[in-house]
Amino acid sequence: MKLNTWLPRLAFAPPTSSAKRDVLVVVFLRGAADTLNMIVPHGEDAYYAARPVLAIARPDDTAARAQDRAIDLDGFFGAHPAMRALLPAWQSRQLAIVQACGAPDESRSHFRAMELMERGVQDEHGPATGWIGRHLAATPPGARSAMRAVALGERAPRSLAGSIPVTALRSIADAHLGAQGGVATEHLRRALDTMYQRGDALARSGRQTLDLMRALDRIDPAAPPAHNARYPDSEFGHACRQTALLINAQIGLEVAAIDLGGWDTHIAQGGAQGPLALLLRDLAEGVAALHVDLRDRMNAVSIVCMSEFGRRVAENGGLGTDHGHGGAMLLIGGNVRGGRVHGDWPGLQREQLIGPGDLAATTDYRDILGELLMRRLGHPSVEAIFPDHIVKPRGLFV
Amino acid sequence: MTTLTRRQFLRAIALLATGAGASGCADMRSRALGRIAGSPTLPDAPMQANTQLFRALSRMTFGPRADEIACAQSTGLAGWIEEQLAPSTIDDLGVSIRLSGFDTLAMSAGDIIDWSSQLFDDIDKDAPVTELRSATLLRQIYSRRQLYEVMVDFWSDHFNIFAAKGQCWAFKTVDDREVIRPHALGRFGDLLRASARSPAMLEYLDNHSNHADRPNENYARELLELHTLGVNGGYTQSDVMELARGLTGWRWREDGFRHGEFAFDATVHDFGEKSILSARINASGENEVEGVLERLTTHPSTARHLALKLAQRFLGATPPVDIVTRAATAYANSHGAIQAMLRPILLDGLAHATPIFKRPAHFLGSALRALHADTDGGRPVLDALERMGQLPFAWPTPDGYPRHDAAWQNNLLPRWQFALALADNTLGNTRIDWPALERWLAAPSPASQFDALATLLLGAPLDAPVRDSLLHALGDSPSLQIQSAALIAAPQFQWQ
Repeated sequence: MKLNTWLPRLAFAPPTSSAKRDVLVVVFLRGAADTLNMIVPHGEDAYYAARPVLAIARPDDTAARAQDRAIDLDGFFGAHPAMRALLPAWQSRQLAIVQACGAPDESRSHFRAMELMERGVQDEHGPATGWIGRHLAATPPGARSAMRAVALGERAPRSLAGSIPVTALRSIADAHLGAQGGVATEHLRRALDTMYQRGDALARSGRQTLDLMRALDRIDPAAPPAHNARYPDSEFGHACRQTALLINAQIGLEVAAIDLGGWDTHIAQGGAQGPLALLLRDLAEGVAALHVDLRDRMNAVSIVCMSEFGRRVAENGGLGTDHGHGGAMLLIGGNVRGGRVHGDWPGLQREQLIGPGDLAATTDYRDILGELLMRRLGHPSVEAIFPDHIVKPRGLFV
Repeated sequence: MTTLTRRQFLRAIALLATGAGASGCADMRSRALGRIAGSPTLPDAPMQANTQLFRALSRMTFGPRADEIACAQSTGLAGWIEEQLAPSTIDDLGVSIRLSGFDTLAMSAGDIIDWSSQLFDDIDKDAPVTELRSATLLRQIYSRRQLYEVMVDFWSDHFNIFAAKGQCWAFKTVDDREVIRPHALGRFGDLLRASARSPAMLEYLDNHSNHADRPNENYARELLELHTLGVNGGYTQSDVMELARGLTGWRWREDGFRHGEFAFDATVHDFGEKSILSARINASGENEVEGVLERLTTHPSTARHLALKLAQRFLGATPPVDIVTRAATAYANSHGAIQAMLRPILLDGLAHATPIFKRPAHFLGSALRALHADTDGGRPVLDALERMGQLPFAWPTPDGYPRHDAAWQNNLLPRWQFALALADNTLGNTRIDWPALERWLAAPSPASQFDALATLLLGAPLDAPVRDSLLHALGDSPSLQIQSAALIAAPQFQWQ
């Protein structure tokens, strides 16, 4: 697929300068991730009281097997043992954690919470576009780019909605029309060039797809990852690898969005082992591999892992957890103030919880994303991106 | 494995015997004769451009076929709608024959599990779901009860089940047969009550493990938020938790005999007093939630929520307010009759419809239908649909596959790949009789052939300058196949 008949006619602008702005990778954990078992408050007795079965054992709990204990991070918080792959990033201070963050919305509805969060608005009345879409629209592209934003999968998430076209892509290897060099393929491609010209969103998406097929032809999807990065053999691992290929190819990519679903763990989520542990392992190994693969560029990459809300502090009768409120976000990059758990911890005592027994959110997620936009993505101010929130930077980025 | 081979063999025989799909007004005999003559079953008269009728029918079908358009032209659109609103009066033998080889469609959940483990050494969780997916596609493509299939699709999203969750791989077939399909054009209250007791729903949203000692509120929340009142419909977190308590003990049987049937388990039911939507619920066990379901059915928020959602399905993202209001009123006045709600939307609303971006199943179905393709709905077609993003019963979250245009517009490549594969006859188990189609189009020149093909696929020819530049791009005398590929990949074909 490397020698398409139309390739010689291509004239690509030189890659955009990446010196000023980071490439943003957003991993959205759909379904409300149980971040209390991801970043474990092992210094809280109330955590163990609320989760007699599901709690992750303290790092020094010799009654538990060593591989089932939380990995201590700062004496109070620890990582779920399945998150071990991210320890090198933590130790090199390129992984920061923000605990007890979230949105003001308390509907505990996945769909409302995700929509408001991805639009970056307080309530239904805000702009219909997504916060990343507004970021892209407010950012001048450095040069003609084959792809400013990509969603790894079949659909673009709401956060990317806006005036800048987004490409949904599952695999670089599949990004061609049909049999290469075939007459029919070539004729159809010419017809597509003719048909997708008008200025509406669909035509832009079509042109984007055509440009992309040409650009991706220069990428070898089977090339081994850099620095022996090992991606998990999963859909998420594959998406992370595609992301690294696209960033390394320097085709002008500014934003990649990856969805990882399955976090709505109402029943039998398991503790140190089990379904949630498998999800956490997939997440940690995928992000860690991306971090290793992109090592030479980490000064110009910011990775964010977020979810629509956290889960209830107490486990439920089905040994799962119900919809909660405050959660945690992970920030990975060369310019995060890493190796620290940020955020004001509100505590897990009964009187410290909100609603039906949920962790309070002491940091608005827009403070985190807003600071990222200002420090790493070149926005002097973010009022246009988060119109109904005054961003209070938390010192998360260098 | 020998059993599977034999089953596939029998299915192939059945397909050979029945030939291409049923079609509109044509009777079985003429279809059979058409088959013998080697031509697809297209009406005798060439198709006339009628954009308005074509667009109206696009909303109520998985893509209009030439014979359906001819039928609607003779009966009038209102007559066609009324006929479609009474699906049991429409003969659908053709699709029944196509489905006759699908062993699991009529089975109980327990039998499906047995069937899976007999065919293979271990339980194959894909086989029954694959049959259901293929059956769903075949119905969408070949059923003459098109509006009914559109509504089945609508409610399958509204009461979404993710087949990969727990035992849903065995339960969804039963849910499709006993919950969605019997009530798709019936009363919403019946649909809601059937769904609430559906083992697939109990499993999917965890009510199966909703116990008195510590309730699980997953199903209760989505019942209020997605199925009935809507997120701003006027319920509180307390209503969610109280309703969850009321639903404790609604489970499916785990014992071998009648495995996977609904059962109420009083031993895990919360017999305490509850207050739901400001009303006290008397602890009476299984039936204490019945009154709540009835109140949810008749609640004005439910009427508004359903009327808006249905109007958006048929008319576009911002349907006329008065049509939505009339649909909600019709719902209230008819005790939740879905047909009553549809009439103002279809009979008066369609004239105000705005473009809707085709979802993948509609895109794929409309191409296969317009060109009278013969497919068994098997793996190659399902794989294409999956790459486009809409494999049936594979949406994980309870909101169902999205309907807003922007959700689908950034994934054009799999649609283009499908267009090319279909034209090349390289899409497995799927073929178009191109010589017969060419004879039917009976066009004297490439330009007139292209116009006739565009009328078949889009309802009207493209503007002459657009057509000419496209024909130029396609080479000097493009084949009918490559013309079709271009039209299916065209921006115009992506909209209904």
